[in-house]
Amino acid sequence: MNNPNKTSRQIMAACVVAGFVLLCDGANCLSPVWGTGLAEAADASEWPEFRGSFGRGAAEDETIRSHWSETEGIAWKVDLPGKGASSPIVVGDLVVLTASSGAREDQLHILALDKETGRTRWQRTFWATGRTLCHPTSAVAAGTPASDGRRIVALYSSCDLVAVDLEGRLLWQRNLAIEHPRSGNDVGMGSSPRIIDDTVVVQIDCQGDAFASGIDSTTGVDRWSVPRAKIAGWASPLAVTTPNHGACVLLQNSRGLELRQAKSGSLEWSWKGECAGIPVTAESGGIFYVPSDGIAAVASMAKDAPPLWRSTKLSCGIASPLVWGNSIACINRAGVLGIADPRDGQLRGQIRLAGSFWASPILVGNVIVAANKEGKTFLVSVDNEPTIVAENQLPGTFIATPAVADGSLYLRSDSLLWKVAAP
Amino acid sequence: MACFCIDPTALPRRFFLTLACLSAVIRPAISAEVPPQTMAEAISICRELSRASGPDGQADMAAKADQIAELPAEWLAPCLVAFDDATPAGANWLRSGLDRAADRFGDRLPLEELATLVGDATQSPRGRSLAFLWLTGQDRAKADGLLDTLLDDPSLDLRRQAVEKLLASAGGQEQAAHKKTYRRGLAAARDIDQIEQIVGWLAEHGEQVDVAEVLGFVRQWRVSEAFDNAKGIGFEKIYPPQTGELAQPDTSGWKAVASTDKHGAIDLNAALETKKGVLAYAVAIIEMPRAGAAQVRIGSPCAVAVWVNGLPVMAHEIYHASEAIDQYIATTDFSAGTNSVMVKCCQNEQTEPWAVDWKFQLRICDSLGLPLATQLKRAGDE
Repeated sequence: MNNPNKTSRQIMAACVVAGFVLLCDGANCLSPVWGTGLAEAADASEWPEFRGSFGRGAAEDETIRSHWSETEGIAWKVDLPGKGASSPIVVGDLVVLTASSGAREDQLHILALDKETGRTRWQRTFWATGRTLCHPTSAVAAGTPASDGRRIVALYSSCDLVAVDLEGRLLWQRNLAIEHPRSGNDVGMGSSPRIIDDTVVVQIDCQGDAFASGIDSTTGVDRWSVPRAKIAGWASPLAVTTPNHGACVLLQNSRGLELRQAKSGSLEWSWKGECAGIPVTAESGGIFYVPSDGIAAVASMAKDAPPLWRSTKLSCGIASPLVWGNSIACINRAGVLGIADPRDGQLRGQIRLAGSFWASPILVGNVIVAANKEGKTFLVSVDNEPTIVAENQLPGTFIATPAVADGSLYLRSDSLLWKVAAP
Repeated sequence: MACFCIDPTALPRRFFLTLACLSAVIRPAISAEVPPQTMAEAISICRELSRASGPDGQADMAAKADQIAELPAEWLAPCLVAFDDATPAGANWLRSGLDRAADRFGDRLPLEELATLVGDATQSPRGRSLAFLWLTGQDRAKADGLLDTLLDDPSLDLRRQAVEKLLASAGGQEQAAHKKTYRRGLAAARDIDQIEQIVGWLAEHGEQVDVAEVLGFVRQWRVSEAFDNAKGIGFEKIYPPQTGELAQPDTSGWKAVASTDKHGAIDLNAALETKKGVLAYAVAIIEMPRAGAAQVRIGSPCAVAVWVNGLPVMAHEIYHASEAIDQYIATTDFSAGTNSVMVKCCQNEQTEPWAVDWKFQLRICDSLGLPLATQLKRAGDE
């Protein structure tokens, strides 16, 4: 049976592609113009992958409550079966997340909770088939699962990729560390999978057998697989649709960017330049905002062109940059949130938050939600100068990026998943 | 409704042959949707699942897992034996079906059958661990009661829980008995964190335990001079120590180095001098109680390669991406008595303060982590 959410998303994606075609003035048009259009189209009841629909980290039409605490404004909280740095996702009436447990962290969990009650609908556990060593700050369940509304795919640091349906039925699995014996990273892998054009894209950047693959989301068989430079990295693939090449995926490592067609894997464009290893490039209006030594704005499809601008005043630590409308925001290693104009990188304002930030900021309505590791979530108004409008403390350690759907915020600590009630 | 009667004799023979062939093709597809009718059929499907490998044909595996998910409760324990020769992918396919089946019964699983399987150490560790997990979910007291007999279990998961229970039981004991219990736990424990926990408690109570000895690290080595590894060229390059008689390496002139580290590390920065972009070889002579397969377990923040009796065992060209005891494990054959182990340990040219370490630690164990190798004192040892 077709999932209505999936269908609506397919229609939205089709509209977006159609929009590109209409916006392009001929075959030489290389600049994809999307972002705002997609934001309008995104389904507010879902948050289907890392940083939400299309990985933008933005839910402009949502509103969340401004204050909560351990005893106030919480719809439910749920004990988790293990460790995880992955974000929850929201698919239909499920909240899905991953975890790992066991003395060797080799028990890989994927669990689906009832969105309304937090009750466990189902939980599946698999044995890791690859390496499970990991830095204590991260976890084997570091990559956020992704869903196309019909299935959920989860990628673990052990390079195990599993696909289950919405009832928790295993559809297929790929034991990528067995297929690529020297893949993996004992600091822990962190890249999240993406489902783009019915293709599950995984990016395994490491010092050993580094590769990226596009896998048929129905059968679990490779559509394509390409070797990558043997460099450790933690960035996730980013879905990018271009008018000339359709659904593509942007792959980032410390030496640059690659744009590949999602279904065929064909290389459509590349850019050589310094990129950060963890925060993920953002895209808007055909410009890539690349975390590097600061931020570099790179015109997509431009051949060997220098960045449009660079700014060291705007820099990312671990958290990925956030781009929406006429703004770009980053949280640096010192916990300072900076907001700039994406047209020229000019800083419009900055504000010092507190603590360290592993989770990426997300935009909800006109507020940036920034959750620090120490459990404090800042709500920063971005109407004019960035202003902290609320600080909400929960117990525990928070390194997972929050999710938002239907006005509720989902925050994952080291042991609990909290649902902050809608206003 | 019109009824069309067909006279079979009027149809050509080829039609029936085609029909027969089609039915042969269609039957498996139909049976894939029907739960197995006998326990033997169920176990057979479980074994097919347990042999799964590779990305192709997974829809068929999913259909088989669907069949297993419909099994009656009383067949679940017998089906757990199918884990005994499971591939890594097969184990997960089988688990996915059996877990779904177990979910259907909630607290109505057959406890006695599961307990019997858990107690049978000849069965697959994975099947027994899963049985224990189901049992724990339904009757924790009954599951805990089984742990008393599992201290020396071939399942690392069950052994760990048995040790945990033993240590917890020492809480009310007077100190001499408490220590005795902890020593018993130390003999049984295989997980590093559990061993460290026990050793830490014993140390707090006046009993020092040599962790490196307990974990069986090889501590007496001969270390070569440093060779060039600028830009990482040395990892693949064959230097003189690799060109000689590797089974009986000549280490005359090499530096004798003994580890005094708690975790048996050989610090090459200290043994040679702190350098970047270099590599060194280290050779140890060990004694094995018997011939046969054993695990070489090495940990290093640097790129390492290992040979045993001249034969390559493993190579990992990874620099400064974490380090851990037993980071890399490979199984190889050893001779009874004397064996040589050679390590090539490569340092790169990273300049970050966390990329200074140039060291390794190595032990030889059985598949559960019990140390097997000993070292005789040799002339010139430190």
